Amino acid sequence: MPTVTIDGQQIGVPEGTTIIQAAEMLDIHIPRYCYHPGLSIAGSCRMCLVQVEKTPKLQIACYTPVSEGMAVHTNTEQVVKARQAILEFLLLNHPVDCPVCDQAGECWLQEYYMEYGLYDSALLEDKVRKRKAVILGPHIVLDTERCILCSRCLRFCDEITKTHELGIFERGDRSEIWLYPGKVLDNKYCGNVADICPVGSLTDRDFRFICRVWYLEDVNSICPCCSTGCNIIVDYNLKRPHAAKGRRLMRLRPRYNPEVNKWWMCDEGRYGFKFVDASDRILDPARKENDKLKPIPWEEALGRVARAIRALVDEGRQEQIGIITSRWSTNEELYMARRLFVEQLGVKGLDHRVPGNIVGQDDGFLIRADKSPNSKGAELIAVHHPEGMDATQIVQAASQGKIKLLYVLHHDLAEAFGNKLIQKVSQNTELLVYQGTNFNQTSDQADVVLPAAAWPEKEGTFTNYAGRVQKINEAFAPPGRAWPDGKIFVELASRLGAPFRYICAEDIFREMADRVEPFKGMSYSSLGLTGSLVSSQGE
Amino acid sequence: MSLSFSEQAKKEIEKILKTYPDKRSATLPILHLAQREFGAVSAEVEQLVADSLDLPIIKVREVLTFYTLLKKEAGGRYHLQVCRNLSCTMSGGQRLLDFISQRLALAPGETSADGKFTLTTVECLGACQLAPLMQLNDRYLGELTEDKIEAILAEPEKWV
Amino acid sequence: MGVKIISAGFDIEGFHRLQVYLAHEGYQALRKVLTSMTPSQVTEEVIKSNLRGLGGAGFPAGRKWSFVPKDSPKPKYLVINADEGEPGTFKDRLILLNTPHMLIEGILIAAYAIGAAKVYIYIRGEYTEPAKVIGQALEEVRANNYLGQHILGTDFSLDVVIHRGAGAYICGEETALLESLEGKKGWPRLKPPFPALVGLFDCPTVINNVETIAFLPAIINRGWKWFADLGTERNGGTRLFCVSGSVNRPGVYELPMGTPLREIIYEQAGGIKGDKSLKAVIPGGSSAPVLSRDQIDVKMDFDSLMAAGSMAGSGGIIVMDEDTCMPHALWVLTRFYAHESCGQCTPCREGTGWMEKVLRRILDGTGRPEDPENLLRIAHNIMGNTICPLGDAAALPVISFLEKFANEFDFHISQHRCDIEGV
Repeated sequence: MPTVTIDGQQIGVPEGTTIIQAAEMLDIHIPRYCYHPGLSIAGSCRMCLVQVEKTPKLQIACYTPVSEGMAVHTNTEQVVKARQAILEFLLLNHPVDCPVCDQAGECWLQEYYMEYGLYDSALLEDKVRKRKAVILGPHIVLDTERCILCSRCLRFCDEITKTHELGIFERGDRSEIWLYPGKVLDNKYCGNVADICPVGSLTDRDFRFICRVWYLEDVNSICPCCSTGCNIIVDYNLKRPHAAKGRRLMRLRPRYNPEVNKWWMCDEGRYGFKFVDASDRILDPARKENDKLKPIPWEEALGRVARAIRALVDEGRQEQIGIITSRWSTNEELYMARRLFVEQLGVKGLDHRVPGNIVGQDDGFLIRADKSPNSKGAELIAVHHPEGMDATQIVQAASQGKIKLLYVLHHDLAEAFGNKLIQKVSQNTELLVYQGTNFNQTSDQADVVLPAAAWPEKEGTFTNYAGRVQKINEAFAPPGRAWPDGKIFVELASRLGAPFRYICAEDIFREMADRVEPFKGMSYSSLGLTGSLVSSQGE
Repeated sequence: MSLSFSEQAKKEIEKILKTYPDKRSATLPILHLAQREFGAVSAEVEQLVADSLDLPIIKVREVLTFYTLLKKEAGGRYHLQVCRNLSCTMSGGQRLLDFISQRLALAPGETSADGKFTLTTVECLGACQLAPLMQLNDRYLGELTEDKIEAILAEPEKWV
Repeated sequence: MGVKIISAGFDIEGFHRLQVYLAHEGYQALRKVLTSMTPSQVTEEVIKSNLRGLGGAGFPAGRKWSFVPKDSPKPKYLVINADEGEPGTFKDRLILLNTPHMLIEGILIAAYAIGAAKVYIYIRGEYTEPAKVIGQALEEVRANNYLGQHILGTDFSLDVVIHRGAGAYICGEETALLESLEGKKGWPRLKPPFPALVGLFDCPTVINNVETIAFLPAIINRGWKWFADLGTERNGGTRLFCVSGSVNRPGVYELPMGTPLREIIYEQAGGIKGDKSLKAVIPGGSSAPVLSRDQIDVKMDFDSLMAAGSMAGSGGIIVMDEDTCMPHALWVLTRFYAHESCGQCTPCREGTGWMEKVLRRILDGTGRPEDPENLLRIAHNIMGNTICPLGDAAALPVISFLEKFANEFDFHISQHRCDIEGV
């Protein structure tokens, strides 16, 4: 455990800690471009040069390990001059056209220039011209003039995905990041290179020129596209409602969680949010009239569903009620479904295990075959009744008329079981309720449609494949008259004579943590930013 | 994709690979060999090299564009490489380059239409006692004068 | 006149052939080392001889060997740096062509001393003829049991491989050379670790210059004291000075370390061409700061040249007469560094190209009064901030030319032309 002094502050750090890491522990930010904690050390940008006492030359903080008694200065005149020099060199052949660069606002050249810029340009020479705005693949555009050759993207493709798409060709100031001619950058994680590019060289085709970053707001969340549960940041725009045709969710970015996704996320997750602002969102409660859906007030919709359920329950015909919950629902929503339908109303036909969530195979990194974010939560909360039917049996029963009321949450049963079967379900049930975010073949067959919030529109938790409970947060309100599932359940429950006394998602979680063994002792505050593991690990 | 190394080249590659503990180290020797065999390292040749090294082709491309002696396209039969560094410049190297350029009507970097000559400039060749100096293909030709250049250009085959 | 060690072989007919070499004490030193000396005795002998690294850095050769861990479980490598490329330097090529067996014998001695079982000779790509000659020499020694298994009937075995470069000055830098040998671009490595600990294939590695190694047989044959006494206090022996530029007899001159520069230029190389007067001398390859004509009494060894504000470097002496346009000469050198910068680290990649453009503009008559100061600023911003010494190598000429010949730059800038005719 060497002890190092950085800018007068002492800290003991593990053997092998570099100066840049030790400084971070002291909340001292040393400027850097090529250094990225998730990649090998390149040591090439030279931006992190610092002064180490008893060493004549400045040392790069990203590579130099601290040693016992080392004294480091990160802000002396000599260090500042070196930083100014490096910035001047980097900007030498960099187009200074920030007003038309989409990186503006989150560009590390801009960022550090504010502090270390020379402002009076000494450059009279022509800049080296290189290739601009080249599409590298489905998600990424490259501007080689803006590139500062930090090699982060190249190291990402070499070390993280091991797909080796990018290289630096030529040498000296003619050096250029490039793909092998004819190849494309299309690995399953390539969106990350735009995140780690410190300048406007690699940009995301889905996001570029969609919204200036200073109009964005963000919340922390969890990627819902598979059971890994990558930690993410949701960037959204409400300030410029006309931008991008009213699109609110602008982009997803990975958020560091050492236990789950480190600094990364896959493209499937990154770009899997389009349904949120899609034109087929269900905006109003509706009922079917002459084969068409007609918007109705919530009161009427809830009243219809509640009356139908009440009637069956009152007659003791609970076995004729089927509820299809979802692995895409939060723990809180799943718990409420169990509480209301199973515990209060005695429904046995409740299950979430609709087939179709398994696609492909785990890739050994972040992508898992189980494409639902909360299979583990659904399993732990025991949403299905132990003596009850599974989802397939419920749907079969409904198609045979044995179930009279089928209430489907989020699943497009037509996709899972085929449209014919769902048509039969529709014909042979008295009431088919569909609750979801977007229209689909199942909603088309439904008698009542309830518009639900999408994941960025609500609060709650998901439990990932490993049993890590992680929190999602509301970025913006649901569109139209849509409500979060939780609110719909609360309203239904009060109409069914079994009112919930929850005011917010946290209330539900608190009760669940009290009553469902694996969640014992957990609370929203104990989850923190990176979540925590359920107690029945290894189940 | 009918291109392949000759049987002899394949044997040579086997031999080269044995002289290093890992395949990648054979990159330069095999690129040299490929360039000798095919005249240049075209994209097809590059793929062959990458395959024989079990290396992502991008790594071969990085090397190919880094080193000046490796060529993606074949030049003329006679490659005149005139030194432009200090000792040669001081000994009239620039004037001789201009002279050759004018005689062949080629700017440095160009190949004659008949594919006979390619003219390039190079950095110090490490034989400054012979300044001004050029390399004709692999051969060093020093103490150049206009007369000597005339003779070389007239019958380059005798000087290679 | 004087002792010639390596270059003595330059004048002997057929010296590159094994039989001729054997007739001139060839492989005697190897026999002595293998039969009567331990590896550490050999290292000790070389340390005491004051043999310096003659590739340019001047690091004491024996000390470099002593950094190799003796008990490493990994194989050890010896790599011969024959990537001669420093402008004004042409000695290694002559050694390879004329005295290849002296080099091979030196290789065997060095490999024995450090415990290497495999040697790579990294030879610059342009040196096709020298590569052929050294290749033939290796065949000869292999056929005669001076190389291969159980050399001269001893337990010592060695394998030597020739590895050709492909045109990149930067590969003369030790770690760029190792990267290149490993099949990569010649991007210098971050240090430490130094190659003695983590070098080729992550194994302990010694990298020595051709000339350095070629002196070993003589040191072993005649003893460290003889060699050390030839030179100055801490610079043993002779070295091959390469003289080019405006001299009557350009060429390689083997002279004791510490020989005055004046003697080399006027006595050995025959003085300035056309009886012109001397203006400036680059004493140690293009990276060495230029000396003005009043500095040529300097002794040509590593320590004296450093004291004079320059470097002994690779021994390449470029002589410039009164008609040399210094801004032009500097532009030629700066263009070279811009061309050869590997592009890895920011200051060198961007700074070398920038300096070249500013100098070009000055030569084109559109220089500005602030250009010299700006050039100095750029050079100082490169100095010491790069991964490898190429940055310093590019900056030092700029600084020294501008400091010593400021008037010529000012003339170009104010008069928009050169004051020297016929450049």
